[in-house]
Amino acid sequence: MSFTSTDHKRIGLLIVGTSLVLMSLVGVLALLMRSQLALPDETFLDAHVYNQLFTIHGSGMIYMVMTPFALGLGVYLVPLQIGAPGIAMPRTTLMGYWLYVCGAVTMLSGFAANDGAHPDGWFSYPPLADRVNSPSVGSDLWIVGVFLAVTGSILIGWTVLWTVLRKRAPGMTMMRMPVFSWSMVATCLMVVGSFPALLAALVMLAVGRVDPAVFASNVWNIGYQHIFWFYGHPVVYVMFFPYLAAVGEVLAVFSGRRFFAYKGTVLALLTFAALSMSVWGHHMFATGQAANDYYSLTSILLLMPAGIEYFALIGTILGGRLVFRTPMLFALAFIPQFLIGGLTGVMVGTPVIDYHVHDSYFVVAHLHYVLFAGSAFGLFAAVYYWFPKATGALLRENLGKLHFWLLVAGTNLTFLPMFALGYLGMPRRVYTYDAIDGFGWLNLLSSCGAGVLALAMVVFIVNVLESLRSRRPAGDDPWGGQTLEWATSSPPPEMNFPPERPLPPITSYAPLLDLEKQKRTGAGRTPAAGEGSQA
Amino acid sequence: MDHRRVFGEVFTLETAIASFVFAAVLALMAVAVIRRRAGTGRHPSQRAENNRLESYYLGVLGVVAVFLVVYTALANHREHHTPADRPTTRVEVTGFQWCWEFRYPRAAAQRTVSVQGNCRDKQFPTLVVPTGTTVKIKITSKDVIHSMWIPALRYKMDAFPNHRNTFALTFNQTGRWRGRCAEFCGQRHKSMDFWVKAVPPDEYRKWLSTQAAASATGAAV
Ligand SMILES: [Cu+2]
Repeated sequence: MSFTSTDHKRIGLLIVGTSLVLMSLVGVLALLMRSQLALPDETFLDAHVYNQLFTIHGSGMIYMVMTPFALGLGVYLVPLQIGAPGIAMPRTTLMGYWLYVCGAVTMLSGFAANDGAHPDGWFSYPPLADRVNSPSVGSDLWIVGVFLAVTGSILIGWTVLWTVLRKRAPGMTMMRMPVFSWSMVATCLMVVGSFPALLAALVMLAVGRVDPAVFASNVWNIGYQHIFWFYGHPVVYVMFFPYLAAVGEVLAVFSGRRFFAYKGTVLALLTFAALSMSVWGHHMFATGQAANDYYSLTSILLLMPAGIEYFALIGTILGGRLVFRTPMLFALAFIPQFLIGGLTGVMVGTPVIDYHVHDSYFVVAHLHYVLFAGSAFGLFAAVYYWFPKATGALLRENLGKLHFWLLVAGTNLTFLPMFALGYLGMPRRVYTYDAIDGFGWLNLLSSCGAGVLALAMVVFIVNVLESLRSRRPAGDDPWGGQTLEWATSSPPPEMNFPPERPLPPITSYAPLLDLEKQKRTGAGRTPAAGEGSQA
Repeated sequence: MDHRRVFGEVFTLETAIASFVFAAVLALMAVAVIRRRAGTGRHPSQRAENNRLESYYLGVLGVVAVFLVVYTALANHREHHTPADRPTTRVEVTGFQWCWEFRYPRAAAQRTVSVQGNCRDKQFPTLVVPTGTTVKIKITSKDVIHSMWIPALRYKMDAFPNHRNTFALTFNQTGRWRGRCAEFCGQRHKSMDFWVKAVPPDEYRKWLSTQAAASATGAAV
């Protein structure tokens, strides 16, 4: 085990492993918050501590878990899927990883500061986040930490994008790339196009911490919001596409067929990525300082590419022969659960509705359906699906299914009541509420759900440790995979496809499926290695 | 209550559409999971795409999207339209860490009436308004960003320092509702609540003059 290896698989696993550890850490912060909110007028946590918890929970999950995990998956898988021996500029990728680690440590070290960690939420609007209103060193550490982690993400994004453009195997045309690799193209385009805006916003905050007078002028306050959300909406799709595409690949493999409506999906991903750059104002309907009609138009138009993606997912399973292994269960649950996030997304993209539900628990519910009920289920589908490839060992099926069912129950129990809470008037980011508000039983349900989620995560951790301790060999291709990573050994050798494991012919975006079909129909005819790869 | 009415119409429609889509997706998934599971012995489809169906479907999505954009934009404009023939009440709202001030400029015999609280011990200031008029609100902040949310009216507007937002509310019935600060604003964000009380116009005028008299004697002391 080397922390300085330039093998993309090693770097990918470091990124993915680090983000899973951080997911557990900042997930615990959410458990503390749900304990505090279980009953009205609780005094388990005070406002000062609670504010730090929701800030670091949100910042941690977005900047340091869901984004890096998505990119790490790309670092691991994209070179394999496109038949490359490695990633372009591996040292840059590695530097990105270490910037990310330093950023995470810096941000979390805020808890050790005198006044505690940063308390202003993951988007930290000025003037609240200036030095006058947030004097803690924890706030400075947050700015530095997020800056480092996001810089790391940008570097990693560039190297993955460059890999796709420059390192594809002969015969691997763009339109033969697996859906997951395509999703990484769209994702990395958004990373390099929009993440620098966050760096700019953080610089603004840093300037405001040196000289708070900057934020005496409204231009800088509203300007910060525009620049922040120029990053802040594309990042939602950065935390969505790779997981959606992982779900797509899992659905195709466990349906025993190729992914349906491939071209439409690729186009939808690119359209989505392009539109994502012009919807940011829908986070600002209530500011009275955004062109609401325009941002509502672009936001609602997103339902077209999103609808095409759903067309592909459902089309894939409707014509399949479905096998319900653990990755498939997570992928199937992704479909309706993410849909709840998407449909309520149309609602919050509608100004008339958003005026009411903005900054309420309705939005908290919406974003957790997108990021947790959706993306995190895609994340687990990916983990269960590619774990055997990366480690050579299978995860336990029974523990996996237990993890799945607990996670489904916990997710919906935790987040469904929040829609009602927001509708009924509970603002987000309050550390407690009054008994007379009538929010009590819905909050209690939600907190019980959080307990179930914690249990599910324990089962997952036990499953990983147990499967690594007493290994059940996976073989090279335990699922009947369709893409190139399943054509090499598990785990893949340093060069990915060494002379003794040459690349199969690359005939489409599901080359192993073509090979299988060819074997079945053209019995007796053995295709030479490389055949069909020169199209 | 115009905001509440418009919100109700749009929210109901979008919830109905969303429920239909959700039910349709669930039904299709049920078909797949039941009829296409491996045990049934069916072979997987060889078809990679269905461009014809896909383009019809995209057309339907486009129609739905355009309808939603236009319909909700019109609703938004309707919500913000104030009829010219209704009398107007002007209030200046200021958010500060951590409570509210409601000022009625030159409202009672050229005197400005001001209501301000500190939101401690669950004592919240009350915004008193007359029914049947257009209540024009100018809102700003003294320090950080706040947001004035009246859940019963289904409406909120942010309060920015160094900037003034304006919006209008109407009340066609008397009553008292809770208002809250929706934008996170620091340590006591949670208790930055207020009340909105709608009273008949004559009662409102009486209230204004008592307030004006009270502040006049207060100033004389
Ligand atoms: Cu406030």
